[in-house]
Amino acid sequence: MMSLYATRRRRDVIIRVLCVAAAGFGLMWLTLILFTLLWNGLAGLHLSVFTQMTPPPGSKTGGLANAIVGSLVMTVIGVGIGAPLGLFAGTYLAEYGRHEKLSFYVRFINDILLSAPSIVIGLFIYSAVVVPMGGFSALAGSLALAVIVTPVVVRTTEDMLRLVPDQVREAAAALGLPRSLVIRRIAYRAARTGLITGILLATARVAGETAPLLFTALSNQFWSLSLSQPMANLPVTINNFVQSPYEYWRQLAWTGALLITLAVLALNIVARLLGAERKTK
Amino acid sequence: MMSEHTVAAYDKELGTLGRNIAEMGGLAEKMLSDALDALMAMDLDLARAVVACDPRLDALQRQVEEFAILTIARRQPMAVDLREIVAAIRVSGDLERVGDLAKNIAKRTLKLADVPRIPRAAIGLKHMGDLALLQLKDVLDAYATRDIERARDVWTRDSELDALEDSVFRDLLTFMMEDPRNISFCTHLLFCSKNIERAGDHATNIAETVYYLVTGTNLPVDRPKGGSSIMTSDV
Amino acid sequence: MTDLALMTAPSPAPVATRAKIETKNLDFYYGATRALNNISLQLAPNTVTAFIGPSGCGKSTLLRVFNRMYDLYPGQRAEGEVLLDGKNILVPGLDLNLLRARIGMVFQKPTPFPMTIYENIAFGIKLYENLSRSELDGRVEHALRGAALWNEVKDKLDASGLSLSGGQQQRLCIARTVAIQPEVILFDEPCSALDPISTAKVEELLDELKAKYTIAIVTHNMQQAARVSEFTAFMYLGELVEFAQTTRIFTAPEKRQTQDYITGRFG
Repeated sequence: MMSLYATRRRRDVIIRVLCVAAAGFGLMWLTLILFTLLWNGLAGLHLSVFTQMTPPPGSKTGGLANAIVGSLVMTVIGVGIGAPLGLFAGTYLAEYGRHEKLSFYVRFINDILLSAPSIVIGLFIYSAVVVPMGGFSALAGSLALAVIVTPVVVRTTEDMLRLVPDQVREAAAALGLPRSLVIRRIAYRAARTGLITGILLATARVAGETAPLLFTALSNQFWSLSLSQPMANLPVTINNFVQSPYEYWRQLAWTGALLITLAVLALNIVARLLGAERKTK
Repeated sequence: MMSEHTVAAYDKELGTLGRNIAEMGGLAEKMLSDALDALMAMDLDLARAVVACDPRLDALQRQVEEFAILTIARRQPMAVDLREIVAAIRVSGDLERVGDLAKNIAKRTLKLADVPRIPRAAIGLKHMGDLALLQLKDVLDAYATRDIERARDVWTRDSELDALEDSVFRDLLTFMMEDPRNISFCTHLLFCSKNIERAGDHATNIAETVYYLVTGTNLPVDRPKGGSSIMTSDV
Repeated sequence: MTDLALMTAPSPAPVATRAKIETKNLDFYYGATRALNNISLQLAPNTVTAFIGPSGCGKSTLLRVFNRMYDLYPGQRAEGEVLLDGKNILVPGLDLNLLRARIGMVFQKPTPFPMTIYENIAFGIKLYENLSRSELDGRVEHALRGAALWNEVKDKLDASGLSLSGGQQQRLCIARTVAIQPEVILFDEPCSALDPISTAKVEELLDELKAKYTIAIVTHNMQQAARVSEFTAFMYLGELVEFAQTTRIFTAPEKRQTQDYITGRFG
């Protein structure tokens, strides 16, 4: 009896130690990455990073202004296209098409899209948009990001709407509310924070994407807000600068990486806070 | 018969209630029978025994009532169970009254010890007593077996008892008119006959309760009546 | 109006002179599974009819036929007739929203909408009527009073409906239903999630509501059925076993199955 219990206790301790060790191991790398980023990135963080254009090769001055704005523009447009699409599709899956055969296929394809390598999406937009249009463009970049945003939002939207109890839907229907009103006024409202969280997470996801932009928006050393022209953006700029022989470029790359990381972190924290608020209610 | 409750303790409680009623029935029957025997034979010891029996019957009745109330509170009985419990309360009340009536006959027997007797006058009473005892026995059997036919028989037969009481009344009246010295004895007998008739009424009540218990409906309000107008009993 | 209810003489099945809702040979299917079998009964106006029976007997299913709630789900279908004031509501093409405005429903779990107490009530009203703010205020108050909730919430109408206690939430749902002035209210185990005091309040409410509405209530609590209803239907395995006056069902039911169920001798 006692020996059996002692064995079990010993085993429990071993497993617990292993679990903590694994968690610590993972966390260590994360901390290391963040630390390296801060160490290297903070050094180059000046106001000029936000005000000056990306410098030409060899230059000792310059910033990331065009890349930051470009990233913002393309992310906003990408999310602006992808989020509504995802919301509508997710709503269809969770509400109207819940029992339809079509939903099954849509969900399946969406899941594939969700896990598709982003470079594949970049290539797809390259052949579908860049080639016919005859050149790289910010629009193509935005579209590539939209393609990444959509499945994420579809998924979160469907999941969040499904969390709304059917009883609430039935209660609304029992008052004689038409379906569209039940969804808009009741289901969306009940799932609101969840839906916003989903969009924020999708935004965070695309904010740092490099691969799909490489083949679509390319990058641009100059200030450009034209959607039909290549547009500067942080990930590709980092990608380009970090491989360069110029010290200043490499420094800018670190700073850019830090900026992206902080932005993504901020988005995640906001999303988490929203989620927590929903739960405590 | 009835299948068992999902809660076995419920069946046990109803069983206890039934056993208590059975005990009360036996006791009331014996008291009435002994009281009548004591009256006929002027057996004072037997009469005292009857009087001494009554507290036990009262205690049993109280026990049944308390237990029934507890069961209602605990089980919220429905339908047949509800009727069963209500019936137990009613039947126990009737039996307790029968016991009281038997006790009253026994007390009168004790008082009659010093009074000159007229054996002729007691004959009619004997018939009444036998019939009342039969009624009581039948109705208790009907209750135990949930036999509504038997209960209905008891219920109809009560008119015979009423008719008998009428004739006993007339006889006793005649004796009293014949000789005023008979008045004391005959008056006591008159009350005894009334008591027996009342005991019969309680048997009828139990018959009605049995009928309600089994069917959930009541027997008609108007029961076939015996006896003449001067004796319409329910005063 | 209530003469039917007050009638004490036992009758085999209540026959309303003008039934508010009447089902005729109603069958119901979940896909291939038959959940209701040839149900024919009448709900008398301004009375409370209780539906009792073991889980899965079809009583909630029947309730959900009355307002065609089952239409939300594919593969569920009803056959036969359900007459509301003599008109069949099972006909295709019927405006379900209008039907459900006439036949309100209160559910087992309180389901306040994620909005303020005021909006919870006003929401349904605004759907059907164009009222001024003051008229709307009056209607909201009236509904809340009707559900015996006004005194508890009058100072916090702007609080979320979700901030109320379970019993209050359920009365809010009743107020919401009453606010759009239906003709029939269906209660699907409205007290099964409530404490005894809240239950008593809802039961008291039922008694008041029946003056204006025809009420059907599904309940697992037989004492509740006995307390609140004039008529009781006992259902078992999709069949209507017995339908009679409540006084009759709970004192002397006719069918053996009913008796076994209500006395706790089942299975």
